[in-house]
Amino acid sequence: MADKTVFTPDVKFVRELKEAGADTMKKCYQCATCSVICPLSPDDKPFPRKEMVMAQWGLKDELVKSADIWLCHNCNDCSKYCPRGAKPGDVLSILRKSVIQENAFPKFMGTIAGEPKNIWQALLIPVVLFLLVLGVTGHLNIPEGEIVFSKFFPVHYIDQIFVPLTGLAVVLFGFSITRFWKNLSEGSDLKPKAEFLPSFIETLKEIMTHSKFKKCDENKDRSTAHMLVFYGFIGLAITTAWAVFNLYVLNWESPYPANDPDVVALFGSETIPMILKVVFKLFANVSALALLVGGSLVIANRMKERGVDTVTSSFDWVFAGMVLFVGASGMLAQMFRVADFPPMIAYATYFLHLVAAFFIIIYMPYSKLAHFVYRTVAITYTKMQKRDVEV
Amino acid sequence: MSSKSILIVGGGISGITTAVEAAEVGYNTVLVEKNAYLGGRVAQLNKYFPKLCPPYCGLEMNLRRIKPNPKITVYTMTEVESVSGTEGNYTATLKVSPRYVNEKCTACNACAEACPVETSNDFNFGMDKVKAIHLPHEMAYPMRYVLDKDVCTDSSCDACVKACKYDAIDLGMKPETVELTVGSIVYATGWNPYQAEKMDNLGYGTVKNVVTNMMMERLASPNGPTKGKILRPSDKKEAKKVVFVQCAGSRDENHLNYCSAICCMASLKQATYVRDQYPDSEVVVAYIDLRAPGKYEDFLNKVDADEKITLMKGKVAKIEEDPATGGVILTAEDVEGGGKIYEKADMAVLATGMVSSVTQNSVLQFEENGFIVSGTSAGIYSTGVAKRPSDVTTSIQDATGTALKSIQSLVRS
Repeated sequence: MADKTVFTPDVKFVRELKEAGADTMKKCYQCATCSVICPLSPDDKPFPRKEMVMAQWGLKDELVKSADIWLCHNCNDCSKYCPRGAKPGDVLSILRKSVIQENAFPKFMGTIAGEPKNIWQALLIPVVLFLLVLGVTGHLNIPEGEIVFSKFFPVHYIDQIFVPLTGLAVVLFGFSITRFWKNLSEGSDLKPKAEFLPSFIETLKEIMTHSKFKKCDENKDRSTAHMLVFYGFIGLAITTAWAVFNLYVLNWESPYPANDPDVVALFGSETIPMILKVVFKLFANVSALALLVGGSLVIANRMKERGVDTVTSSFDWVFAGMVLFVGASGMLAQMFRVADFPPMIAYATYFLHLVAAFFIIIYMPYSKLAHFVYRTVAITYTKMQKRDVEV
Repeated sequence: MSSKSILIVGGGISGITTAVEAAEVGYNTVLVEKNAYLGGRVAQLNKYFPKLCPPYCGLEMNLRRIKPNPKITVYTMTEVESVSGTEGNYTATLKVSPRYVNEKCTACNACAEACPVETSNDFNFGMDKVKAIHLPHEMAYPMRYVLDKDVCTDSSCDACVKACKYDAIDLGMKPETVELTVGSIVYATGWNPYQAEKMDNLGYGTVKNVVTNMMMERLASPNGPTKGKILRPSDKKEAKKVVFVQCAGSRDENHLNYCSAICCMASLKQATYVRDQYPDSEVVVAYIDLRAPGKYEDFLNKVDADEKITLMKGKVAKIEEDPATGGVILTAEDVEGGGKIYEKADMAVLATGMVSSVTQNSVLQFEENGFIVSGTSAGIYSTGVAKRPSDVTTSIQDATGTALKSIQSLVRS
């Protein structure tokens, strides 16, 4: 044969996938029910049947170039109809985890922050870092009097930790995504037929409305849960930006007293600052609530579907747990502060909240959260190729 | 004193074979059949694979062996109510349902002509109607009409009784109980087709022109609902484009977690029904793996050589109605071709698998898929498809062997 294709199965990769939870993949006998049942699979070279055989054979090189595994929204319609219990839905989610770790830059961060079994190390880093900063700056104590979090951990220090590290994370993530884009381009012989920008805008629209997610049959509830978490995060990101604006532009410090002389001077009265404060707090709390309710629903839905004891999605579990944790600790810290709880409890909760926030923000390129960038990029790429399903 | 009789439960090809083989070497056999006729599933088939000869031929030879043999007692419309005892000395209680037609029947059809009530014809899977009093099928054994009294709308109606010149209809017939002492028992209870409506993605029961493989046998049979013309059910249009959906519920842990062993060969055979009948027809067989073991591979190659028959790897996972033509649209991934295909056809045939007829019985042991391994005590056997999904040839071989085993039980005790 002239055009012989040589496959090099990567047995180690197969083992890693199975350990991560894709242990059902070997049951697949390639009937292709999944590719037909999937409401999101394109007509040309549909998924996930081909990804299943690639995973079985350990074709890592092929899989890291696959845009298709990111088109999957884990509906699990395929797993429901799979005649062999091979659970393509779960296998694809493990493949996405592998690709996140494969593209992790630097690699060791992928291992520390991405491997569920290393979660304690991953949490220890911010704990030690925060204690160090507090110790060096002489804040390693419980402040007296009214509970004001900035008395315990001044906002300036928090910003000095978070802003540069977030910047670093974004740059490192940029390296990963550049490599990912290159892989995608190598993985397909289809030449792009559309421009980047319109495809990207189309993708954003799709994500904003969750229109693709809603096409799933098996997990209608999950799209609602995901939407809440999604908008919760966006709301909280806006809240953070807003707080930065308050602090550095208006010079108005938390807990935002309406009679702050600077602000009163700026607005001419206490009424506007009062309204601003209420709107700000309301917006922040609604966002936090969305995250909390969404996170709880995510976990409830997952428990309903496959039970907690499964190892299939420990990568997902860690993140879902962390979402709930950041939401709950933030809410509780606020409640403890307002209700005048013993300062020890309030400040400890706040500390934990900061640790969780660090995990979510700084480890973003390596955790499950990375999917929002990978998925956006992959869907955009697919739209440029014009092989995405119509929504 | 131990009994020298063998009870055979189920009068299909396996049960008939065991009864005939044991009787012809001198043992008394009692053949019990729940339907009004012998022959079971084989009586419903149009052709055997791979020779493509009609099963009526072989069935007739067997019935011819039963008729003159005094060692064989046949009970139709009869079910086994209970079994007790040990090898060599079992007591079986049979419940014989009333046929309402006695041995004076000459099968003249006068009663059916007079009968005012029509009912769905189970023999043809409901694809046509029969009168409440009817002949089960053309070669029924015994050659005698049967009255389905459950569907008689007027309990005082005696139109059939009046029409019968031979005094063969007795509306007062009552159920009877028969007690037998037998030395061994053979369960040849066979199979039912898997309920196709359970596959919600394959449209059976909602999409009109989706039929099962057993329905296809009846459609192609000269004594079937369409007199052998392969017409699609919705509008009786000639089915010239037919897609066979393999493993419809088989090898599927959500349905039947096993291979029924015959569906591949059955669909290949049925592909020839369509091709022989309509020279301009087209057939697609969509499969996961084509299983044509041993010498059957020759048949597969013969079918594959027909350019109008496409064998496509990829399981059909969705069937919808085509509103434009009234036909069907099937979706599959053509695994070798590398894309999803939307195949339009006049009719889809689901290759549904075999389910053991008997799934619960305290004297029997079942394997994980519900087929009968054997009895819970010695001297009780299973044979044919009751034991495992198999084709007719294999069933007959197995039934012959089982005849020997059941005889050994008599000799041993």
